[in-house]
Amino acid sequence: MRTEIYNELVDEKYYHIVHPTGLNIYVMPKPGYSGAYAVFGTNYGSIDTKIRSENGETVDIPEGTAHFLEHKLFESEDLDAFARYAKTGASANAFTSFDTTCYLFSCTGDFNASLRILLDFVQSPYFTEQTVAKEQGIIGQEITMYKDVADWEVLFNLLRALYHKHPVRIDIAGTVQSIAAITAETLYDCYRNFYNLNNMALAVSGNVDIDEIEKICDELLKPSEPFLFERKPFDEPDGICRDYIEESLSVAAPIFSLGYKESYGLPKQTLKQKIAVDILMEIIAGSTSPLYNELLEKGLTNTSFGFESFFGFGYGASIFSGESKDPKAAAELIRTRIAELKATGVSQEDFDVIRRKLYGRLIMSYNDVDDIAHTFVNAHFDGEGIFDPLDVFRTITKDDVSEALSHMMRDEFAALSVINPIEQEK
Amino acid sequence: MNYDYSLSSPVPGLRFCSVNTEKNFKVAVISARFALPLTGDIAARALLPFLLKRTCKKYPTLTAMNRRLAALYGAMLSAGVNKIGEAQVITFSITSLEDRFALDGENIASDLTDLLLDVLFDPNLTDGAFAEEDIEREKRLLIERIESELNEKRYYALKRCTEIMCENELYALDRYGKIEDIQTIDAARLKKAWNEMLSNAVVFVSAVGSMNAELIRCRFEQRFDKIDRSRINDIHTEFITTPYETHRVKEELPVKQGKLVIGYRAGMTYADDNDAAIKVMADMFGGGVYSKLFTNVREKMSLCYYCSAGFNAAKGLIIVQSGIENENEQKAIDAITDQLNDMKKGNFTAEDLDASLKGLTNLIGSVSDTPESIDRWYANQMLDSEIETPAEYAARIGAITREQVIAAALMVEQDTIYMLAGTLTEEEESDED
Repeated sequence: MRTEIYNELVDEKYYHIVHPTGLNIYVMPKPGYSGAYAVFGTNYGSIDTKIRSENGETVDIPEGTAHFLEHKLFESEDLDAFARYAKTGASANAFTSFDTTCYLFSCTGDFNASLRILLDFVQSPYFTEQTVAKEQGIIGQEITMYKDVADWEVLFNLLRALYHKHPVRIDIAGTVQSIAAITAETLYDCYRNFYNLNNMALAVSGNVDIDEIEKICDELLKPSEPFLFERKPFDEPDGICRDYIEESLSVAAPIFSLGYKESYGLPKQTLKQKIAVDILMEIIAGSTSPLYNELLEKGLTNTSFGFESFFGFGYGASIFSGESKDPKAAAELIRTRIAELKATGVSQEDFDVIRRKLYGRLIMSYNDVDDIAHTFVNAHFDGEGIFDPLDVFRTITKDDVSEALSHMMRDEFAALSVINPIEQEK
Repeated sequence: MNYDYSLSSPVPGLRFCSVNTEKNFKVAVISARFALPLTGDIAARALLPFLLKRTCKKYPTLTAMNRRLAALYGAMLSAGVNKIGEAQVITFSITSLEDRFALDGENIASDLTDLLLDVLFDPNLTDGAFAEEDIEREKRLLIERIESELNEKRYYALKRCTEIMCENELYALDRYGKIEDIQTIDAARLKKAWNEMLSNAVVFVSAVGSMNAELIRCRFEQRFDKIDRSRINDIHTEFITTPYETHRVKEELPVKQGKLVIGYRAGMTYADDNDAAIKVMADMFGGGVYSKLFTNVREKMSLCYYCSAGFNAAKGLIIVQSGIENENEQKAIDAITDQLNDMKKGNFTAEDLDASLKGLTNLIGSVSDTPESIDRWYANQMLDSEIETPAEYAARIGAITREQVIAAALMVEQDTIYMLAGTLTEEEESDED
């Protein structure tokens, strides 16, 4: 079944197809563009550390399996996917996040030929003990590389301070030790569990023909069992693990990440909550805020300062991070100003300025084909439509933002993660 | 879509380039770039864009300026400094919403042009000088920016290799200047740098979007009217075809993964000399996932997660980068050298060449799909006398033959091998988890 959805505000339309195989397909044609971008994603990421075995039992799988599987799916019995893409000229890649695994390509040449490759290789697992062993060296180097990246370490240390059990606290790629336990059998088991078309989405944007895409899908998509993997809520207590965590790495100055552990009642936030939080974070720490400038003028942060509303299934955190000569003082100032804002409330003027800023940024986000395709996939897994935020922006009020603030950023749920420089000779 | 560009020179040494993208995009870009030789007060000139972008006379505080940008639908004003060959290029760029999406019918592009011109020509001066506290803040921020380059080991190793390789050339100089020169910057030096930027730089202004480009061109012309543009700097980049001597340098840092960087001279004698053939050769050697370095050093040998080659046409360098275990240093060097020798000997198939030609033309084709990349495409040619469209460049790339690739590979000479060795082993870091 194919539905066409048009939005007047951004003057764009897209097609949504619920394919008989169970796959949800989203296509936004961009006739004035030269190229196109496609993503084939599954609702499976590093937080999914348990699978249902063939006899129905729940089994633990090694940390980093989703990412390992992503690497190995490119391989096949004859020509690997990269070698096949080399014939079309498409630029292909893949990534694993906390809750998704996505395979993508961009091209300006023969889109249909590249789409065929994408649909084929993602549906054709081929794992052997030899190819698994070979990948352990490559991924081992990837893991080692990230261990030296302070921005990465400061975030994962923070997550380990905030979360007791939720698997968001483990590294996406796992550890050198955990991936050593992965076998071809593990990969097949995970593939069966998570790469069911009912659990996946395909999104395309660019200079493409919807009829051609549907034809290729009809031809290549393989019927799958009517099975939708459902995440079970994680048994995670409200409180944090510890309020401070530090590590030393080769960096010029300390890096910090201050995070408030949030809970939203439901495993996932509603779209309105997400947008209220985005507005709130901008009001608190965006470039128009007094706090942003105070941190800068006091020499407590520099241009690396930023913030993020970080959330997914069963986890959520409001994070402020950057480089600081005095991370504790920077964190203290942020906490104080947030506590003050909780007492005084959000001003209508601030709300109006930020709503307009984020409204502009939202419209701009319908520009690039890669952004659009990824938004489709994420919105689908969250049960939303890609134009839904436009409606929310029209109706959201200051009170929605105040409401968000009233139960967020609770001081007793804050933790500070710091990366200190290793003392070294210059 | 292949958009036409329109080029004019309303002011001496200034080229104005506009690309009308009709109604295809949500986003528009207006930018101004100033190129100066990599000599003189590099540090003061590097500080300038960061200082200027924060405020202007009309919006004299950081908050006032950022509120203005927010009110203009979250327009982003960015400033930066980079090198094109041996030129220091100062960039100001505004990315914004296209006018037709404004809720109250504002002319966003026109308002942002005024804001950009205010930033460039009408800074927040007190008694004709930049304020001491603003200067001190920006000095701190710039120094911290340079120091924190250490945090990105891949970039840091690349930069160290280039510095060592080009130690007798201007190219070795940092785009931001030396930290000790930044520390001593005062209001007088900044004023001088500001005048130099406006009077002596080669300037490239670009407007990409559906806006009225003629109006933007006129406003730039008006503002430059009061500036003496009679002495425009000559910008020249030195090209070395044969290394004076080959360096092999090892440095250490307390990290887990080593970074190997190998610098080569591409055999060019001027900017863009044989650039299409070298581009294809470098891509086959270490560009995409179909390249020799990826398929052999990563996939077959499992030595690394990344091993790639980059080509810098403005300076005639090819640089290979990889992240490896310390103990694999020689193994990786040998493997990389073998792959380059295979290129020189013509040990590649027609399919290998075809993969690169297709891959590169695909990438070049996608330039026209975002206003930001269109802006960068033309601005990167600001020092070239002839401007080339993406389609023209793609056509030159597509015509490269096997013989031209081999000839280009034969010109490549190894200059510097740089290893940033890690001093942390796995055991030493087992205190976590």
